[in-house]
Amino acid sequence: MKGMMLPRATVGVSRWRRFRAAVDWPLIVTTLALCAIGLLNLYSATRGVRHTAKFEAQVQWMVVGAIAFIIVTVVDYRTLVRGAWFGLGGAVALLLLARLIGSSGGDDAHGETYRWIHITDSLRIQPSEIVKVMVILVLARVFADGEASRYTARAVAIKLGVFLIPIVLIAIQPDLGTAVLVTLIVLTVGFLAMPSVWPMVYTTTAGLLCIPVLWEKMHEYQKNRILAFVDCSVAPTKLCWHTQQSVYAVGSGKIWGKGFLGGTQNQFNFVPEHWTDFPYSVWAEEWGFAGSVFLLAVFGFLLLWVINVALSARDRIGAVICVGVAAMTFWHVVVNVAMVLGIAPVVGVTLPFISYGGSSLVTFFLAMGLVANVSLRKHGY
Amino acid sequence: MTMLRGDSGYGPGLPELHKRLRWVALAVLAAFALLIGRLWQLQVMRGESYYERTVSNVVKERYLPSVRGKIVDSKGVALADNRPAFNIYATPKQLTAEVKAELERMLGLSEDEIVKIDERLALGTKRDPKSPILVLEDQGRDRAALVEQAKSRLPGVEVHHEPYRYYPQGDLAAHLIGYMTQMTADEADKLTAQGYDPSDLIGRYGLESAWENYLRGKRGVEHYAVDARGQRLDEKTIASLIHGERVIDPVPGANLVLTVDSDLQRLAEKAVARVAASAVVILEAKTGRVKAVVSKPSFDPNTMTGHLTHAEYTLLMSDPRKPFIDKALRATYPPGSIFKFITALAALEDHQAAEDETMFCTGMYELAGTRFRCHGYHEKTDLLKAIQKSCDVYFWNLAQRIGLDRIADMARQFGLGAPTNLGINGDAGGRIPTKAWYEQRGPYKIGYAANASIGQGDVEVTPMQMAVAYAALANGGSLFVPQVVERVESYEGRPIVSYDPKVAKTVTIPPEALEIWKKGMWKVNNELGGTAYDHGVSQVVEVMGKTGTAEVRKHHDDHEHRDLEKWNPNASHAWFAGWAPAKDPELVIVVLVEHGGAGGTNAWPIAQRILDGYFTKLRDKNLPAVDVPKVKPPPKKPGER
Repeated sequence: MKGMMLPRATVGVSRWRRFRAAVDWPLIVTTLALCAIGLLNLYSATRGVRHTAKFEAQVQWMVVGAIAFIIVTVVDYRTLVRGAWFGLGGAVALLLLARLIGSSGGDDAHGETYRWIHITDSLRIQPSEIVKVMVILVLARVFADGEASRYTARAVAIKLGVFLIPIVLIAIQPDLGTAVLVTLIVLTVGFLAMPSVWPMVYTTTAGLLCIPVLWEKMHEYQKNRILAFVDCSVAPTKLCWHTQQSVYAVGSGKIWGKGFLGGTQNQFNFVPEHWTDFPYSVWAEEWGFAGSVFLLAVFGFLLLWVINVALSARDRIGAVICVGVAAMTFWHVVVNVAMVLGIAPVVGVTLPFISYGGSSLVTFFLAMGLVANVSLRKHGY
Repeated sequence: MTMLRGDSGYGPGLPELHKRLRWVALAVLAAFALLIGRLWQLQVMRGESYYERTVSNVVKERYLPSVRGKIVDSKGVALADNRPAFNIYATPKQLTAEVKAELERMLGLSEDEIVKIDERLALGTKRDPKSPILVLEDQGRDRAALVEQAKSRLPGVEVHHEPYRYYPQGDLAAHLIGYMTQMTADEADKLTAQGYDPSDLIGRYGLESAWENYLRGKRGVEHYAVDARGQRLDEKTIASLIHGERVIDPVPGANLVLTVDSDLQRLAEKAVARVAASAVVILEAKTGRVKAVVSKPSFDPNTMTGHLTHAEYTLLMSDPRKPFIDKALRATYPPGSIFKFITALAALEDHQAAEDETMFCTGMYELAGTRFRCHGYHEKTDLLKAIQKSCDVYFWNLAQRIGLDRIADMARQFGLGAPTNLGINGDAGGRIPTKAWYEQRGPYKIGYAANASIGQGDVEVTPMQMAVAYAALANGGSLFVPQVVERVESYEGRPIVSYDPKVAKTVTIPPEALEIWKKGMWKVNNELGGTAYDHGVSQVVEVMGKTGTAEVRKHHDDHEHRDLEKWNPNASHAWFAGWAPAKDPELVIVVLVEHGGAGGTNAWPIAQRILDGYFTKLRDKNLPAVDVPKVKPPPKKPGER
């Protein structure tokens, strides 16, 4: 830590060396470690089903993500936040575009959805992932003001109300998981960044009261996913089967796991879609309790590191960005792992850097890039 | 936490975060503790059981059916065999409504077949929805090919090439051989404990049922592995997943070698071709071995074994002649005059009768105010003539002298009224009434003895019992347990068990009495006026026997059945019991034509045709060294009319 304080006080050291010293190496190393674990796991997950193209695609997306990381790190985050509203507007426009020209995600369980924008046959993006990053940037802007008196009930309501637009658009795609996730990010950042927590308490209470109304508006498959979680006998068995097979897979890993490529649940396809939503079950089956806890520990370290950056950020904007990224990472990890372990409903929430999928991967690279950006500039670079 | 304090020198960028840091830490710790706790629960505490679950997800076992033992006749002709067939199996869990509809559409299944599939799937779901169950057995090559080709569209549907029970001789000896069917749900529960698979066919009737344990063999098991869609994994993967024995080979069942001569059986079945319902039993006189046993009407065991449609079943079940009752073993009939040897032997043994005693038959007999009618006017009759012409009056008189219980006693000595212990198809006992039996049911009437003496009234026996009793007469008193299985061989032909003729008991009859009865029997077939002689004399072999015409209780309400193949339920049963050659008995034959009318007219010609056929064509083939039987009847005895 002391070493990293050097640059500001040092004169006569080259820009490059100062830059190198300022770069957040723990963040980068952790991110790369997660990518490596993700690739290793993806290799195993897709081996049995002849989807090796997915592995190559994932590597390509990682290169794209790394480039995005560098770009986002280099451009000052304050510049980025200045364009936050514009960015969120663009993301919302993409959501609307997906609604207009998008098509079904190709997953029979969901029916008709509008999650994707097809750019070419093989390239498609999920605008809801980009929304998360934009929401974080806008949150940084909204909570940039440290003056408690500015946060009147009305101002808070309006500011938070704006986020309802993308959330509702995502929810009606329908992609309940992402909608809930964005909500959780907004609420978490609100609780941590607002001078007084009371407006957030009121908002959350009001939001909880709305749940019955939202329940009525939900799609059948979404209700079933939640019902299936509550009671297997209520909902169609297929959904239960996902969770159950996932739980079997995790449990069967025992302490040391079945070994790399040795997971029968995963290799022979008993856990469906295990490379996107259930990669953790693949990991847990093959690496056991030891490996599962290790992976959680890596995420835990990443989380602590991002919070650490938030604590040491030189300004409110940077800190809020980091809090947002930490919230996003935290909820993604917790919801995804809980879902795999059968203690949360099956919603399409990815495991950062481990899940297959370009949009999610690039989103997290962007998010980590923002953190690196804040970290880089905490000493006034 | 000091690490987490801001050290940028600008002061905390977000002081609220610093204030609420402990909440953040608490929330993160709580969440991760929850996840790790759950991991501990799943992987450490319950890991072993989940591990087994995942292994059972992948590793399946398929039972390998054993080849069922053959049933062959005494000359090695197969009566029950196996042939390759295509069986379609389905895994209930994977057979969704769409897949089933696709299967129905593709194969063009009939209503009956759909019902059958549904029943079996329901049964399979109850047992183990994840293991395949036989839904359609013995399918044609074309259907098998269709299913094989559409494998990807029909998850959970498999075609197996398996041996299937086959009866090459069609309905020959159908009642003896029996047939096989699928087990019911209740049976499945019981039999799986004995190593059966719910898809197995089991012997349902005849020898197939009685000798099931020898015939079935021992099934084998194949362990294999599947992916989530139920598709088999490749050999290398299977090898890595399954440790230990992967295939346990099935052991084929044992073959039954019967005493039955299929040529004689065919001959007998042809001989009864023109009657509606009948039974024929042919035994080896000196061993009690069954050479042929016919029960008509019967069924085709090939149809019964898995191909019976509902319509056919209804038709068979509605047949008033009861095609599923073995008339040689299971059904009991009044024996009529072929029972008279009992009365005669009892009276002779008690010295209540003598060969030369004459009586006068006026065609009528009065007893305690009841008039009994004889079927003719036999006038002056001695015992031999009474046997030859089957005069009832003579026997009614004898009955009065010896009484009902003496008759019953003699009948039981000859094994009548008790199962023969052949051991298949129910093997009924029938009934030999005694005084005590009647008294249980009401006042005893003196006429009961008269009825019993001529095999009427409440006397009921099976054709098999009669055949065994006549064999005892022919061989001088050895009452055999009839034998149909000569030996059991392993599938390679190694003998397992061999059965010798078994004498149940030896009947002690005074030889003179037996001789008198035999003389009478000889006259029946070989002298003018004999009840059989008048309807044909064999030019091939000297036969002796006794005819019987057993009256039945009249069912006047059965009009609708009257014209069925000339089968009239009010007509008498026609019987013939006897043996050939007369002097050195080889075969004992009993023919029953159910509701066939008079024994001489209807039963004896059938017996004659069988015996003629056997002694001209078959016997020479069977026994190379033959002493040609006398064809000419012996000289007539003086004093005969």
